[in-house]
Amino acid sequence: MTSTQSVSARTPVERHWAILVLGWVLVIFGAVLLAGGIWLIVLGGSWYYGLAGLGLIVTGALLNRASMAAVWLYLVIWLATVVWAYWEVGTDWWAQVPRLVAPTLVLVLILICIPGLTGRSRRQTY
Amino acid sequence: MTRFTLCTASALALIAAHPILAQDTSTSSSTDSAPSAAAPADTAPNAGSSDVTTSATDTGSAGQAQPDAAPQDTSDETSQGDETSQPEGAAEDTDQATNAGLGTAPQAQPEVGENWPFYGGDSNATRYSPLNQITPENVGQLERAFVYRTGDMPSAEAAGKYAGETTPIEMNGALYMCSAKNVLISISATTGEENWRFDPGVPDEAIPYSASCRGVTAYTDPTAAEGTPCATRIIEGTLDAKLVAVDASTGAACEGFGENGTVDLWQDIGERVPGWYAVTAPPVVVRGILVTGAQVKDGQAEDAPSGVIRGYDVKTGELAWAWDLAAPDQNIDGPPEGEVYTRGTPNMWTAAVADEELGYVYLPLGNSSVDYYGSNRSDAENEFATSLVALDVTTGKPVWHFQTVRHDVWDYDLGSQPTLIDWKGTPAILLPSKQGDLYILDRATGEALTPVGEVSDLPQGDVEPDFISPTQPVSSWHTLRKEPLQELDSWGFTPIDQLWCRIQFRRANYDGYMTPPSADKPWIQYPGYNGGSDWGSVAVDTETGVIVANYNDVPNYNQLIPREKADEMGLVPIDEQAKRSGGAEGAGDAQAGSPYAINVNAGWRSELTGMPCTRPPYGGIRAIDLETGETIWDKPLGTARNNGPFGIPSMLPFDIGTPNNGGSVVTAGGLIFIGAATDNLFRAIDIKTGETVWSDVLPAGGQANPIAYSVDGRDYVMIAATGHHFMETPIGDYMIAYALPEASK
Repeated sequence: MTSTQSVSARTPVERHWAILVLGWVLVIFGAVLLAGGIWLIVLGGSWYYGLAGLGLIVTGALLNRASMAAVWLYLVIWLATVVWAYWEVGTDWWAQVPRLVAPTLVLVLILICIPGLTGRSRRQTY
Repeated sequence: MTRFTLCTASALALIAAHPILAQDTSTSSSTDSAPSAAAPADTAPNAGSSDVTTSATDTGSAGQAQPDAAPQDTSDETSQGDETSQPEGAAEDTDQATNAGLGTAPQAQPEVGENWPFYGGDSNATRYSPLNQITPENVGQLERAFVYRTGDMPSAEAAGKYAGETTPIEMNGALYMCSAKNVLISISATTGEENWRFDPGVPDEAIPYSASCRGVTAYTDPTAAEGTPCATRIIEGTLDAKLVAVDASTGAACEGFGENGTVDLWQDIGERVPGWYAVTAPPVVVRGILVTGAQVKDGQAEDAPSGVIRGYDVKTGELAWAWDLAAPDQNIDGPPEGEVYTRGTPNMWTAAVADEELGYVYLPLGNSSVDYYGSNRSDAENEFATSLVALDVTTGKPVWHFQTVRHDVWDYDLGSQPTLIDWKGTPAILLPSKQGDLYILDRATGEALTPVGEVSDLPQGDVEPDFISPTQPVSSWHTLRKEPLQELDSWGFTPIDQLWCRIQFRRANYDGYMTPPSADKPWIQYPGYNGGSDWGSVAVDTETGVIVANYNDVPNYNQLIPREKADEMGLVPIDEQAKRSGGAEGAGDAQAGSPYAINVNAGWRSELTGMPCTRPPYGGIRAIDLETGETIWDKPLGTARNNGPFGIPSMLPFDIGTPNNGGSVVTAGGLIFIGAATDNLFRAIDIKTGETVWSDVLPAGGQANPIAYSVDGRDYVMIAATGHHFMETPIGDYMIAYALPEASK
C-alpha cells in the first residue's frame, strides 16, 4: 500500500493499482450478487443479496474514484450484513461462514486502502 | 400445486378435527391402492411444517402393523386380483413348508462377550459388548494390536466402486470376515496372522453399486461331532449371488452344502445380468434355516429381479421355502417350470435379524422397483414395500408386517438391521428408519409399543397425485429427523455460492417432509436416501438402557426426467448398458418401464464448489434413553479435517458433523467406538457425556461397523478401514485391532 502522507483535500491523487483492482473485483462480484439477488427476489427469496450486490457495485465504483466514501458505504454494508446474518442464523458459526467470512475479508482490504483514498483530510478539517 | 397453498392454520384445524380419519384401521382397507380414499377430500396441506403436525398418537391397532394371518382372511388364491396383498393365515399352511423337521426347535445361541459371534454382536443385534477393560479413563493408552491387509483392492475396472463395509465376527481367538469382493478370510484375533482364505472368484462385472460384503454368518451344527468337517461353518452371500459355506477351521468348502459348498441364488431369478442382483449383507440362521434376500440394483427398470426372500437348509443348502410376496403360495417351493419369481418386487438388501425363540426372521424390506415412480405397482408391492416383515421360518409365510412409508417414491428402503430388545417386559424389536424414526414393536404381533403418529394432508404433487399417499406414519416416540429446511439453511463458502444454493432452494418444489417427486422442477427430499439410520444401524446398551444412534442429516436434490428426454440423454438400464456407470445411486438412472428416469443430487451439493448446499452438521450421533425415548445427548459426528471446497481437505479439527456410514459398538466399559464419518477417524466416545475421549487416524475410510472381543483376558476393539467410494473416503483393505498395552491391562 502507498504510504503517501501528504494527500491534498481537493486534488485527486494518483490512484494505486491495487485499489483499482479491488474496485473492479467488487464491481464484478457486486454485479453477480445483484443479478442472482434479483433472481432470488423474483423467486420470493431474501432481498439481502440484491441489496448487497448493489452496495458492492457502488463501493467498487467509489474505490475506482479513490473516494473515501467507499469506506463509509462499505462499513454500513458490513454492519448491515452482520445484523442480517445474526438475525438469520444467530450464533451457528458454521452457518456464518458464507455470510461473514468473505464480507469481512473485503472490509479488511478496503480498510487497508484508506491511505490511498481521498476525503480523509476533508474530514480532518472538521 | 396451487391447491396445496392454503394456510397452515386450516390444515391444523382439519387434522385436529379428524385425528384418525385418514388412518386405516382394518386390514382390508389398508390394502387399498388409493389411500386418498381414506383421507378428507378437501384437505388443505400445509407447507413446510407438515411433519411436525402429528395427530394424536395411538399405540393400538390403528398403528401400521398388519397381521398377515388374520382369521377373517380366507382368501386362498393370491396370485391375482385385489386380494393379492393379503397372505393366508399361517396356521393352515404349515404343512406346505418343505423339508419337514427343519426349523422346528429353537437352538441355544452363542453369547457376545469374549466372542463377537454375530454380525450385530449377539443374536439380538444389540451391538453391545459386556467387556469393560477399556474405559474412558484408560482409553487414551489404546494402541494398535495389529493391522491386517486382505489384499482385496480394486482393479482398474472396479476403481470407484469399492466400499467394503466389512464387519468381522470373532470366535475363540479367530476372526472371520469377507473382503469387499467376497474372499472369505480367517485370521488370528490376537496377531492378525492369516489362518486361511477362500476366494469364490467374484468377477468385477458382478459389482453392483458397490463392492461390499458387510459380514459373514457362523453356524454350528448341534448334532455334529466336534472336528467333523463343517461342524462349524462360515457362510456368506456374494456379489455374484451365491451362498458360500466353508469350514471354520480350515476354510475348505462344505461339500454337503449345495454344489461343493455353493448355492446359486440366480436360480429362478431370470436372465443373469451381472451386478443387478447381488448379496451384500450377511444371511441369518433361524432354527437351522439360512435366510437371505439380495440387493437389486436401484433405478434400473420396472422389470427387475425379484425381491424374493429364500430360506435354505443351513446344512444341505436345499431350498426350504421361498417367500415371493406377490405369489406366496404358488412359489413357496420355487416358481413353476419356465417361470421366475415375481419381478420388480421389494427386496431386502440389508441384514435381517433372527428370533430363534419365536422362529421368526424380521426382514427390513426396501422399496419396489422402480424407486421414484409407483402408479404401476401391484397391491402386494404396495402392501409390503418399505415394511418390516416378520416371517415364520417354519412355514415361509409372513406373520405380520409394519410399513414405515405408504407408497414409497423416495427410496426410503429400510436399511438398518433391527435390534431385538426387551421393552418393559415385552419381547420387542427396535426398528430405525431412513427417515430417522425409531419404532418399538411387539415381536409376536407387530403392534407398536411406542406411540406412532401420523402426518396428514401431505402434498401429492402433479406427477402421480392419485398414487402419492396424503398420510404417512411417524414415530412420536423418537425421531432423528430434523425440522424442515428453510432458505436460510442454504450454505456455501462465500455469499455467491450461498446465493446460488438459495436460488436452487427457491426453484425447487419443497413442501417439507415427504415432498413428492416432480418433473417440471427439481424437488428437495429431506432427509435424503442416506438416512436417518442406514445399514450401520443402532447400538443398544441393554444394561443401562441407552440407544446409540448415528445418523445422516442431508437432503437430496432430485428431478424426474421424462422418458423422451431420458432417451435423448442415453439413460438405459443395466441390462442394456455397454459400459457400466459408476457414481452415486440415482444420479441419472433409467427407471426403464416407467414414464420417468431419475436424477438424484445426493447430499445436494453445489455444482460450483462441490460443497453441500445446506449448512452443517451433515451427520450426528445421539444417545437416547430407552425407557423414555428422550435424547440424553446429541453431537455432530465427524471433523472437517478431510473435507473442504473443491475437494481440498481443510485440515480443520472442528466437529462439523459429516455424512457417515457404518455403526457403533457400545461396551460395558462406558465407551462407544465408531468410525463411519468421512474424517477417517476411529474414535471412542464417553457414553455418559458424548465427548470424544480418544481417536486414531485410519489409513482409509472407516465406513464399517466395529466390533469388540477378548482373548486370554485382553480386550480388543476392531474396525475395517476399507473406505467408501460414495462417501469419498480413501479405499483400503485394512483390518485394524486395538488393545491396551500388555502391561497395563
